[in-house]
Amino acid sequence: MRATVFIGAGTLLLGGFAASQAGYLDWVWPQGSGTRLVADNMTAQLQDTAPSQPAAGTPSSAGPASQPVPSAATALPRNTVKVDESALRYFAAKGDTKRLDAEIARLRALYPQWTPPANPLAVENTDDPQLDAMWKLYSDGKLTELRKAIADRQTAEPGWQAPADLLDRLAVAESREQLVNASNLKQYDAVIRIGSVTPSLLTCGDVDVLWRVAEAFARTQRPDRAKDAYGYILKNCDNPQERVATLQKALPLLARAPIDDLLAMERKGADGKGEFDSIRGDIARQSMANADADSKLTVADGDIARVQKLASDGGLVSDDLLLGWYYVRRDKAQDAETWFRKAHDKEDTADTAEGLALALVNLGRPADAEDVLYKWRETSDDVRKVYLAAVANLLAITPPPPLDPVVLQRMSQEVAGAKDAASAQQFGWYADSLNQVQTAAQWFQLALDWKPDDEPSAYGLALALWKLGDKAGVKQIQTAWAGRSERIPTVGLPSVETSALGNRMVIRQPPTRDAAPQSQTYVSPQPQTYVAPQPQIYAEPAPAAGPAQAERQAERPAARPRRAAAPSGCSSTLDPAGLAPEQALTRGWCLMQANRPIEAAAAFDVALRGTGKTQSDAAYGQSLAYMRAGLTDMAAVSATKAPLDSNRRIEIKTALLESQATTAYNRGRYNEAILALDERSRIAPERTGLMVLRAYAYLRLKRYDDAEQLFRAAAATGSHDALVGLNSVLEAKR
Amino acid sequence: MRRFAAILFWLCSAVLAATAASTPAGAEATVQPSEWNLYKARFLDPAGRIVDNANGNISHSEGQGYGLLLSYLADDRGDFDRIWSFTRTEMLVRNDGLAAWKWDPLAKPHVSDTNNATDGDLLMAYSLSLAGAAWHRPDLTSAASAMAIAILASDVERAGGLLLLKPGSVGFGAKDRKDGPVVNPSYWVFEAFPVLAAQVPDQTWSRLDEDGRKLIATAMGIGKAGLPPDWVSLRAKPSTAGDLSNDFGYNALRVPLYLLRSGNADGSLLRTLRQRMADEDGNLLVVDISSGEKREALSDPGYRIIPALIACALDGRKLADDLKSFSPTDYYPSTLHLLALSYARRRHAECL
Repeated sequence: MRATVFIGAGTLLLGGFAASQAGYLDWVWPQGSGTRLVADNMTAQLQDTAPSQPAAGTPSSAGPASQPVPSAATALPRNTVKVDESALRYFAAKGDTKRLDAEIARLRALYPQWTPPANPLAVENTDDPQLDAMWKLYSDGKLTELRKAIADRQTAEPGWQAPADLLDRLAVAESREQLVNASNLKQYDAVIRIGSVTPSLLTCGDVDVLWRVAEAFARTQRPDRAKDAYGYILKNCDNPQERVATLQKALPLLARAPIDDLLAMERKGADGKGEFDSIRGDIARQSMANADADSKLTVADGDIARVQKLASDGGLVSDDLLLGWYYVRRDKAQDAETWFRKAHDKEDTADTAEGLALALVNLGRPADAEDVLYKWRETSDDVRKVYLAAVANLLAITPPPPLDPVVLQRMSQEVAGAKDAASAQQFGWYADSLNQVQTAAQWFQLALDWKPDDEPSAYGLALALWKLGDKAGVKQIQTAWAGRSERIPTVGLPSVETSALGNRMVIRQPPTRDAAPQSQTYVSPQPQTYVAPQPQIYAEPAPAAGPAQAERQAERPAARPRRAAAPSGCSSTLDPAGLAPEQALTRGWCLMQANRPIEAAAAFDVALRGTGKTQSDAAYGQSLAYMRAGLTDMAAVSATKAPLDSNRRIEIKTALLESQATTAYNRGRYNEAILALDERSRIAPERTGLMVLRAYAYLRLKRYDDAEQLFRAAAATGSHDALVGLNSVLEAKR
Repeated sequence: MRRFAAILFWLCSAVLAATAASTPAGAEATVQPSEWNLYKARFLDPAGRIVDNANGNISHSEGQGYGLLLSYLADDRGDFDRIWSFTRTEMLVRNDGLAAWKWDPLAKPHVSDTNNATDGDLLMAYSLSLAGAAWHRPDLTSAASAMAIAILASDVERAGGLLLLKPGSVGFGAKDRKDGPVVNPSYWVFEAFPVLAAQVPDQTWSRLDEDGRKLIATAMGIGKAGLPPDWVSLRAKPSTAGDLSNDFGYNALRVPLYLLRSGNADGSLLRTLRQRMADEDGNLLVVDISSGEKREALSDPGYRIIPALIACALDGRKLADDLKSFSPTDYYPSTLHLLALSYARRRHAECL
């Protein structure tokens, strides 16, 4: 048998260990202009001009790394060097041109003076079917079986030696597998070690291996070595796709300075166009995107100019958005509006509308923002936040602008749907400023229901009740807030009302866009479908809808179906126990419209004493009331108190399961969340928001493939949450 | 001075043991070709991995180590090479040069846990060293040295005044567990130490050998069973290790086999083990350490041969026919069976 190859590999392995203390890889990519791989047998020129082998950690001279290489000075005719060409014949016979070419390239590098045979098939047939079978195992990648075949033959035929060529290639192929496995398992030191003892792996013929070694350097805090490895490819390898891919690989792993060094190795085509043109654009985009994630980052002017040019020339909405987000994060709202406007004009999507609305809010144009974003408000939590910020800012304008009743009504629905206390409070002040005191009181009360510790709303409510002459109500609030507010006790004292206006300046800042997913605190959208009648606060008749308005309405998603106008007369407090069931039912719905769900539930309880439809309506109403109050368990019980028709049964059941899923998720019980969603999906289609919730549950359970599939599906519907989630999965899967 | 003498003695016995375990090239193999063929037909995948058929058909570093050792003992170079090729390319991928312990055909990547298992590492290094010397294969010898060095660098710890083998590089130490450090007495492949000491001379090997024997003696005093448990906590007074097996069970049952195969075992210790680990019918008992109560009687010939082999070694008692012949059952007992038979052939032909 031929032992030298094995000696070589083994000694090198030991050498790796022995030298590991002293940076054993220093010799792999020597610094300086003479950069090359030790014993790289791909490039003959390099061998001719090679500096002497670096000393430290240099392996012993045995092994494939030191195949005898004829001196360049002696030009030898073909066949004076004995070259094993049997592999050529084999690959040619099989018609495996890829391997044939690779083998010719390899032999050429190994023996620079060797000329490939014109017809590989004419290479003398060794007439050794066993050896042919071995080459077949090699080309089929059955390396372990090839090992066995060689050893078996050596046992059977003492003295038989496998061709050195075959052994070399087998050893290299094994090392390649080992390296790729180590790389996939993030064992980066092992990757570097294997690469360093198998220098013949590190060639342009297998750029993937070079990429993996470079990544291993980068991930073990050796960016200089990583840069050298990428640089080696750019210096020596010619495949255009691989050259571009090399920079793409380096991009996320290296800092800008080494990336710029690599870019400098660009080759120009005959047309003078650089091969990295497109990459430079991506790099500029990436630095803009990084700056979006971190507002402290500064972006080179050149990058901004490049992206601007790309946006102007190429017309990609994504480039407009990059610029918009960049400027909005740097308080340049005017520039942000310019770019978001371009994007929005090209494509009216949730993303473009969100950005434009944010810029408009920052420019002090919340009405425009509201108008732009209304149709997208349900797309995602982020969009809804921006929408509600527009609403809050719009209502906070002093003096209050006249607002289209249609707009007011839809805003009120959204605020109620989102249970957004800040906006409800602004509605309160807005109504108050229009002298709609009763309405103001209702909004302040809503704000307090949603955020019981909201002192400004309590103050506003106390003021409104004072104006309404409800001294008992004022007293109640003052008692509740005793010691917690300085101004609430002053309500009713002279001159206090005039200070009310000053309180309207509590304006919510528009949310900043979270670049990183808030993975731990994912809060699913609240169930929306079962939301009961909205408070009917703006009672003014809507202006007759002209054609233009009707058209505008038609473009928007239909507003939530409204129930029949509720009978008035539940503003007073009264014990429902004395009411007849039908009266109690009416009062229950009225209280629901006033968003006083707990009182409504009590009224429905009385109504449950009725029979037939009254009883059924009462059970339905009470279930909705408890659900709105967040008392899911009680809602479930209510739904069983009387027979419901199938639509209502499904509506309640759907909402309950949804709530159950959300609660389970938020408590970290992901399996239960999925079970609830499964059950829900059997009776109602799964909305995008719930699909995202389910995907997050899979993510938490490390069912990454399931999560990825769902996120992708949800992202395809334009869900930004899904996109954030998808990135989390891809990150987790890495 | 005493210590030095002890080392000298130990080195001499090491050479003897190494000779005893090795199969000189051309000499009759101690695992017969027919046995190896039966074994490999059942447990060796053509790609070179030993399949643990009772454990979801996964492979592990222990199995690869056993595969290397058995194919060496069977003098089957082809199979040895293919097992080694698989092991090297698929499992020898850790940064520290040790083997990832678990390879799952259904997982992606196949290595589903990159932690190592020290017994697997030892079995591999040991087998590579034997094969490299017997078959004049410097590549195997070099790989053996590299693994031996990695074992010394990563698999050894000091605890309770002893030099011990960590079961794996993570998960068992004082910082990893409330009852850590935890060790596994059956990870001491005693026969490997003298061979590896010849491969990579270092006093650690003889210390591991000595202290491993002390550990086993101590571990036998932990509970009423009077047998070593599968896992031992050395946090304070040696004890069983909470959530890990509290039995003399599937791990520890190979301790006597390793002691025997290492060639210089203590007769009275072996006799005690023999007495406590088998029932009247020669079945191998799994015993609860603290109560000493029997939990299971294992009747697979691969288990039964272990107490029988002690009786053979101590008293020259013949092995029963069903133990002398080999037919594969499950990966683990079948492996132990062949190791036991190989030892009997080499050292106690009178029992066959």
